[in-house]
Amino acid sequence: MNKLWLVAKNTYQQRIRSSTFLMLTFGIPLIMIVAGAIPVLTELRAEIPTVGYVDQTGKMGAVEEIEYEDEILTLKSYPDQNAGMTDLKTGKIGGLLILPKDYFQGGIPRYRAEKQPSEKLKGALEKAVRTGMLSGAPSWQVERLEDPANFTYAAQSTGKRVSEGPAVIIRVAIPVFFAMVFVLAIFTGANQMGSVMVKEKDQRAMEMVITSISPRELVAGKVMGMTLLSMTQVAVWTLGAGTAVFLLFREDLIGHTLSIPWNALLWAGLLCVPGYFLFALVGAGLGVIAGDVTQARQLAGMLGFIGMGPLYFMGVIVNAVDGPLAVGLTLFPFTAPTIGLFRMALTEVPTWQFLTSLLILVGSLLFSIWLVARVFRATMLLYGQKLKPAEIMQVISQSGLSAAAEGKEK
Amino acid sequence: MSENNVYLKIEDVVKSFGEVQAVRGVSFQVHAGEIFGLLGPNGAGKTTLIRSALDIIKPTSGKIEILGGAMTEEKKSRIGYLPEERGLYDDMTLWDTLIYLGRLKGLTPKTARERSEKYLRELDLWEARERKIQALSRGMTQKAQFIAGVMHEPDLIIIDEPFSGLDPVNTRLIKQLLYRMRDRGAGIIMSTHQMVQVEEMCSRILLINQGEGVLYGDLDEIRSRFTTNAVEVDMEGEIDSVQGVEQLVPRNGGYHLVLGEGVQPEEVLQRLVSDPDLTVERYERVEISLDDIFVQVVGGEVLNGTEEEAV
Repeated sequence: MNKLWLVAKNTYQQRIRSSTFLMLTFGIPLIMIVAGAIPVLTELRAEIPTVGYVDQTGKMGAVEEIEYEDEILTLKSYPDQNAGMTDLKTGKIGGLLILPKDYFQGGIPRYRAEKQPSEKLKGALEKAVRTGMLSGAPSWQVERLEDPANFTYAAQSTGKRVSEGPAVIIRVAIPVFFAMVFVLAIFTGANQMGSVMVKEKDQRAMEMVITSISPRELVAGKVMGMTLLSMTQVAVWTLGAGTAVFLLFREDLIGHTLSIPWNALLWAGLLCVPGYFLFALVGAGLGVIAGDVTQARQLAGMLGFIGMGPLYFMGVIVNAVDGPLAVGLTLFPFTAPTIGLFRMALTEVPTWQFLTSLLILVGSLLFSIWLVARVFRATMLLYGQKLKPAEIMQVISQSGLSAAAEGKEK
Repeated sequence: MSENNVYLKIEDVVKSFGEVQAVRGVSFQVHAGEIFGLLGPNGAGKTTLIRSALDIIKPTSGKIEILGGAMTEEKKSRIGYLPEERGLYDDMTLWDTLIYLGRLKGLTPKTARERSEKYLRELDLWEARERKIQALSRGMTQKAQFIAGVMHEPDLIIIDEPFSGLDPVNTRLIKQLLYRMRDRGAGIIMSTHQMVQVEEMCSRILLINQGEGVLYGDLDEIRSRFTTNAVEVDMEGEIDSVQGVEQLVPRNGGYHLVLGEGVQPEEVLQRLVSDPDLTVERYERVEISLDDIFVQVVGGEVLNGTEEEAV
């Protein structure tokens, strides 16, 4: 065990300093932050112009000023569209809102302007229409109808109470976030396992290492190191995403008592860590049978395909979240983490399903360690040679170095 | 030699790769405190034999006892191995590599650091410790790998061509280290083609050819087995015949004398010196080199009588 940790630590230390790791770990959140920051910055710089409006329903009371998010929206009423358009063209107003005659029958209001309205202006206009339509009503009524039905939800079967609003977003977002991060981690981490194993062989230090440590410890140590590396990556991403969410939605979040979905976090950890380990082991196995890094990468593409697999079924899963396919994919070790977490965002997944899934996952993991170590032992001295499927089967079915592998070694 | 002192015991080991028998019933023993030469031409089966001994590959049949029994994970820390296939982790610094490999051999972090420093200084690599392996010269990498193989000061050391790529100065440094390890009781198996090194360093040898052991035993005894009763002499004066000499061949201004059976070289020297017409300048018994023995045996020129003594 001690040697296994030494290999894991060494793998971790070597990879964490690599430019690829740093680029993937900090580059991806940076790109996401920049992508998210651009609209926010645009919004912050947006000014609220004087806006004209034409009420073709004849039901809206006069509104001259609206206070919205510490800014004042000045409004000017026009009897018809032509009058409004004239002022818009001369720049007296920055935009013109037209409420059509069939507004109450579902008619869509139109907004005419040179520039697309900012989110803040949209909010202010909505408030203006609401105020105008409720003309004469007390201000508290207008305020309350901004958010008319912010209810709490209690599950009928479990009686669990979940706050609406931001809390619900968190309840849904956390499992989905971890499911997405899991898939991403497979692409950036587990997919690299093949190359790591090929490199281990190519360095030609194998004979020295293997006379110090068993093949099983070496393989498990490498995978453990890569898993820790991916967990570091996920921690950085989670921290980055959490910070970004807080910065973007701090006003919505402040004042709400948020219930942390510990259940989701627990299952995310219990399914994703061994799930990742399994993918990394399969990646290592593909690297072991691959002749070189190029072949290892090609085979890793297959692994990525399996990792992405659950996404192809999302449509069916969403429509039948407790259906046989959804349950089956929750129990299948390669899809258990993603499907399990996605379902958790949509429904109450029975605990027995998660427990069974975890048992199958751990069983698959132990079998994979045995299998990959066996193939590794048989092929570790085959530099730059790829095993054929028949030879792999021979290696698995025989003890020690297979005749096929030995023949190649010779 | 007591059983406790036998660090490696190979008995009738056969290793087949499919249809091909790479090792055919080879037996030998390596003892504590000796440097044992494992010789043979390319493809003779030396590496296969070593890998079988180290449990890297499984022999088809036969018995292997290493450090008193079957190979175990615990025993790996008592074995040092410098394989024929050279390589270390290119992206790691020399220092990190040695600490890592030393730790894998069971050294504590402190001992790994101390031993790394000790051997790096001894082999003149201390200044290069922060360089990446890929930035080291071939000779430096060779020395680094040697350190990695022996820094845990194992009981049994197996080294494959330890001097290839090394200059005479570094060769001497490695030799001194090996002698020191032998003197503290380690059993050392040296697989090499360099007969000069074997003659200088090994007390016993096994020569294998085409997977079979063809010569095994004490080096002096083997050499004497191949040495003919002959002398070479440089002198002033000419001779036609000497009592006790069967053949007299002029060579390089002197003579090559093949002595009769049972005739001692000292007797012939006495006769030459006592002849007033002759002045003996050099008189030397002809000893066959290991190189010659190797060529004879591998070339199939070995006497049939000696082959049966091989294992």
